[in-house]
Amino acid sequence: MNQQDTLAPALDRVTFEVLKNAFANLVDQMSEQLLRTCYSFVIFCRDFSNCLCDENGDTVMQGTRDIAVHVGTLHLTAKAVLDRFRGDIHPGDVFMVNDPYVGGTHFCDVRFVRPVFHNLRLIAFTQSNGHWADIGGSQPGSFDIQAKEHFGEGLRITPIRIWRRGEFLRDIAEMIVSNTRAPADAMGDLLAQAGCTEMGERRLLELVERYGVETILAAFRECQDYVERFARQKVAGLPSGTWHTEDFIDQDPAANEGLIPIRVSLTLEGSDVHYDLTGSHSAIGCFLNATEGSAFSALVAGTKTFFPEVPLNSGFYRFIHAHLPPGTVVNADHPVAVTGFCSGAYEKIMNAVFELWSRILPDRALACCFNLEYLLIGGRDERDATRGRYFMWYDWMAGGWGGRADRDGSSATSPIFGVGLAIQSCEAQERLTPVLTSEHAIAADSGGPGRFRGGCGVRKGGRLTEIGHTVMSYSCDRGRSVTWGLYGGLPSVPHGVTLERAGERPRYLGVVFSGVPVRAGDRFWRPSAGGGGLGDPLERDPTRVLEDMIDGYVTMAGAARDYGVVIEAIDAEVDEWRVNPAATEATRAKIRAARDGWLDLDAKLVAEWLQQGVITISEAVRQYGVICDWDSSTLLPRSTEQFRATLRARRMQP
Amino acid sequence: MNAGLPAPEWRVAIDTGGTFTDAYFLNERTGRSHVAKVPSTPDQPELAVIECLLTGGVSPAEIKLLTHGTTVATNALITRRFSRAAMVTTRGFRDVVEIRDGTKEDLWDAYKDVAPPYIRRRDRFEVNERINHTGQVVEALDEAQLEHLGRILKRRNYDAVAICFMNSYVNVAHEIRAREILEAALPGVFICASSEIVPEMFEHARFSTAMINAVTGPIVGRYIAALDRRLKAGGYLGDLLILHSGGGVLTAENSRRYAARLASSGIVAGAIAGSHIARECGFENAISLDMGGTSTDISLMYRGQLRTAQEWHVEYGYPIMFPSIEVISIGAGGGSIAWLDGGGSLRNGPQSSGAEPGPACYGKGGNDATNTDANVVLGRLGTSLLDGRVALDARLARNAITAKVAGPLGLDDTAAAHAVIRIANANMANATKLISVGRGFDPRDFALVVFGGAGPLHGCDLARDLDIPVVIFPRHPGIASAMGCMLVDIRHDLSAMCLLPAEDASMARIATMFERLEAEARSRLAADGVASCEMLLSRSVDMRYAGQWRQLTINIAPGDRMAGVLSRFHNEHQRAFAFRDQTRPVEVYAVRLVAKGTLPKPPSVPTVKSASKPAPFGTRPVFFSGIRGHIDTPLYRRDVLTSGARVEGPAIIEQLDSTVVLPPGTNSVVTADMHVVTRFTGAA
Repeated sequence: MNQQDTLAPALDRVTFEVLKNAFANLVDQMSEQLLRTCYSFVIFCRDFSNCLCDENGDTVMQGTRDIAVHVGTLHLTAKAVLDRFRGDIHPGDVFMVNDPYVGGTHFCDVRFVRPVFHNLRLIAFTQSNGHWADIGGSQPGSFDIQAKEHFGEGLRITPIRIWRRGEFLRDIAEMIVSNTRAPADAMGDLLAQAGCTEMGERRLLELVERYGVETILAAFRECQDYVERFARQKVAGLPSGTWHTEDFIDQDPAANEGLIPIRVSLTLEGSDVHYDLTGSHSAIGCFLNATEGSAFSALVAGTKTFFPEVPLNSGFYRFIHAHLPPGTVVNADHPVAVTGFCSGAYEKIMNAVFELWSRILPDRALACCFNLEYLLIGGRDERDATRGRYFMWYDWMAGGWGGRADRDGSSATSPIFGVGLAIQSCEAQERLTPVLTSEHAIAADSGGPGRFRGGCGVRKGGRLTEIGHTVMSYSCDRGRSVTWGLYGGLPSVPHGVTLERAGERPRYLGVVFSGVPVRAGDRFWRPSAGGGGLGDPLERDPTRVLEDMIDGYVTMAGAARDYGVVIEAIDAEVDEWRVNPAATEATRAKIRAARDGWLDLDAKLVAEWLQQGVITISEAVRQYGVICDWDSSTLLPRSTEQFRATLRARRMQP
Repeated sequence: MNAGLPAPEWRVAIDTGGTFTDAYFLNERTGRSHVAKVPSTPDQPELAVIECLLTGGVSPAEIKLLTHGTTVATNALITRRFSRAAMVTTRGFRDVVEIRDGTKEDLWDAYKDVAPPYIRRRDRFEVNERINHTGQVVEALDEAQLEHLGRILKRRNYDAVAICFMNSYVNVAHEIRAREILEAALPGVFICASSEIVPEMFEHARFSTAMINAVTGPIVGRYIAALDRRLKAGGYLGDLLILHSGGGVLTAENSRRYAARLASSGIVAGAIAGSHIARECGFENAISLDMGGTSTDISLMYRGQLRTAQEWHVEYGYPIMFPSIEVISIGAGGGSIAWLDGGGSLRNGPQSSGAEPGPACYGKGGNDATNTDANVVLGRLGTSLLDGRVALDARLARNAITAKVAGPLGLDDTAAAHAVIRIANANMANATKLISVGRGFDPRDFALVVFGGAGPLHGCDLARDLDIPVVIFPRHPGIASAMGCMLVDIRHDLSAMCLLPAEDASMARIATMFERLEAEARSRLAADGVASCEMLLSRSVDMRYAGQWRQLTINIAPGDRMAGVLSRFHNEHQRAFAFRDQTRPVEVYAVRLVAKGTLPKPPSVPTVKSASKPAPFGTRPVFFSGIRGHIDTPLYRRDVLTSGARVEGPAIIEQLDSTVVLPPGTNSVVTADMHVVTRFTGAA
């Protein structure tokens, strides 16, 4: 049948809509296949993205359930392949890249790029990016938080050819997978990813067959123009202006204490969005830096959160302009370590973008969300059935998202880094590793107090059972730059892992550490932060505080301390409680009168109270804005000063 | 049985849908069948069921066997009007159903949340106990604590309790003991243990299934009791059999016990009917497309078997872990609305004009351009439906298309209407690709069965889009679901987890596990009143490459050697995933048993073949893809198309519950079972 409608030109709007959906469907089919054929559980938990790029490497379509952190970077990888191999790209070739310094994200994100030809003419690329559980380096999972340079982090794969004219270069592939801790898994993922780009190629060629190559190429262009038009139309009606904010990474472990600023300004001009990150701190001595590609991705993902209905492709990247000063924590160059960018600079940029757009689009406001975190326990399994095997307990948590304009934040949700990233089943983990989970529960009082409360974070704890030669590593942030609120909403609680060994006091290990030796019988736990609150918690409807208390999202003590709401039991056993209105009024008045002074209180004194157990960490942070080394309760004066300044700034109403 | 009355001779299947309750009546003695349709009565669905029997002229006393598809459980979940239930979990794990896997359905919209769990946090309780992954008790069940909890639960007046302990799939002891203690403390309360519902790994999916079972169990129980009472009062002596998501039926008692299985009862009926009709027409591979007013349900049969999924949901985030016929639903129906998005692209659905106001041409105040309006403008749909009971206003249809599509896009009305239909078809084609091509099936090997009120309007275009060579239009497209309810067996799905290397040495253990499951299955079927000669047990195993996370289900027979099973696994892996790795170790991950109690099927009653060339009752101008302008197209009434009749496209076939569009370049023949089978002749 003649599909070119007799009533319309070659690429009429209808054919375009049909092809646009067909491209989306093609990428979704790639994702389905990858999900079903991947070997490693990280990809299985959806830490992957696939896309279709045009002949210039620009993205035409991404998968509908892709991870945020990969958006805005896949086209850079395709272009890197083009730059390296232009003139030497053939049907049946497949290229492999994981290089963050040419637009990638981090070494674990391994990408396969397959050129698609029609009659020997290069017309497109299909690409698959999957997070490999390990890519070598000094630490299991390739997370070496002490790395200042990339050499110890893992294998860097600059653009290379892995299939030549249809022939699998097995020797190269074996060399690569032999540099990982699980070569068979890596090889399986390699084949699965390459296989899914092949399926994308097949589907695309079917469309070419049906609609003609020129129509397809026109649709590639129109897909991008359409998205650009769509995005510009959204922004065009908004007031012009410039907005500023800053967010912080906890520290530079190679320097003195003090929060590391990331400054973001947003200028709206016509239908263009300009981001300028001038003033951000220079690159720091650990792996939390971002490369240019991933910083751009954070800007794109942050923006997209406010325009969820606009699809993503290179058209979206045309209305966003970014200035990322080289040499800074948001544009680190080779060989600065960047593997932990997603816990570090990435989410700081995204949350800063949330804050800026919240001012422009107040009915979409979103306070800060919990920080992405990865806990890794790797060592020898000493259980009978699996004795001597190497195990990796590689765990990430859901947490709370920020309070919103008219409702509380979302509780126990995947990180903003990738909402499609599924957390794992504890039962499955227990089968695979000698780690017994003791709790996986919503953490009371973890949501930042506010008129609209931040979503609740989660607490996960465990015990190491039969292990040998095992170490623990953690990649997170916001142990000091605590998840913040907006418009008087208060912060959540610090992230960080606590380890308890029989007969010793529990030790707070912090938010970034690696290679900490652990033994059988050790217990550990960690919270994920809740979201920051939005609006003054003293203005929260007391009945909502009461409902929260009944559900245990807020404790009775937390209700009084954070919201000034006094609750009394009528019959606790059947959940009958009531708010005491007079006591609530009085408590709220007292807090209102006192709280302005709290941020000026001598921070040393507050730290002493904390040491003496007079106040909790949550009070130190929320009420007094005091930041300590949470293990020793030693005051961090510079960090405190910076944190108090942000608390003051974020009290301002929009 | 009452000696004075004749033996009941009617088989009746009743499908309760959102809008209509449909019945299919079959007289086993005469072989005659007829249908009935009445408006549904959502508050008391049993009233419409009884009304439907009245309309069909068959009294309960005349019914030999009644099978029923119900939306009671689905509606309870969707509207969240369900029983007050509590959950009791291992200490530290009461939030498993709230934390879920953390993901959201909408990845980018920070203002669209996943719905909260069906049981609120305040109603979820913890007790001390712990079992590890090998089934070993790490911490004993604290019975005193549980007894205390029982007293609290009693004071709080719950209708149901779900007991959900960690690793209960390897060792059920704590859950069972907890159930005993709570049953003693809470007489009359519906109590279910997660390991009894689905003894499978992955705590969230298992807890979620148990939670859904608990909140729907009492409602399903009450509904079925009410229906049962009315049927018995009318003289029905047989069993009331309820359709479940796995494509079988459960008895009334088991419907309550496994209520979560009922939550897609209505959707799967269509899939069953579609596969049955395809087989009647001689096809073992078929894709069914059930297109109604607001949505389209798509399912796939391969080699005579409907594809099943091990997990599904009514609301995102809350899996139901029972095997279910895999049905993809998309928001594309007759009432789906065409609209222009912010980028100026023409879209179709998922918003629908619904029953009120309905498409513009219904004349009930709707202004939006819907698929129905587009079909009217194209002449594919006439202006009189349901034998004249519904009149469509072509002028209103055209106005809507002009205002909402043609004007903004600068097209004429015909091109605009055609654009609307093309996009609707493309959306359905994409969904179909996900379930076919996306799973490694080539649509060219399949027949497309189209039904539902709107399906036959779109079937041929869609088949062409998908390169499907054959389209089947069932005899009664509008009541296929009810017919599907009649075509089923009593079915239980049982499973057990294991983790064994796929080698002959494991066969003995696997056989032992199957024997245990089969004993349980036989006792369940016996309790359902199934004679042992009517029990049909089939075994399968879930296998995967060691270290991989997706398993394939492979059929296995007693006495099979592992080599044969392995070779089937590798082949299936190649087909589904395009690669195999025979050097890689394979493991057996779970054993599954499908236990059927076969029910007598309605006999196929071939009609007499007539070679007569049917005569059209008129013509009207119709627009077809690829041809300029409307062309005069003969119109046929379905009831004159007897077995053996042939129709050459272009043609329109009208019948009470649907309109079939046969474009140019098609040849159709009416089968002995009165289905229309259409093939493309190549040239459009």
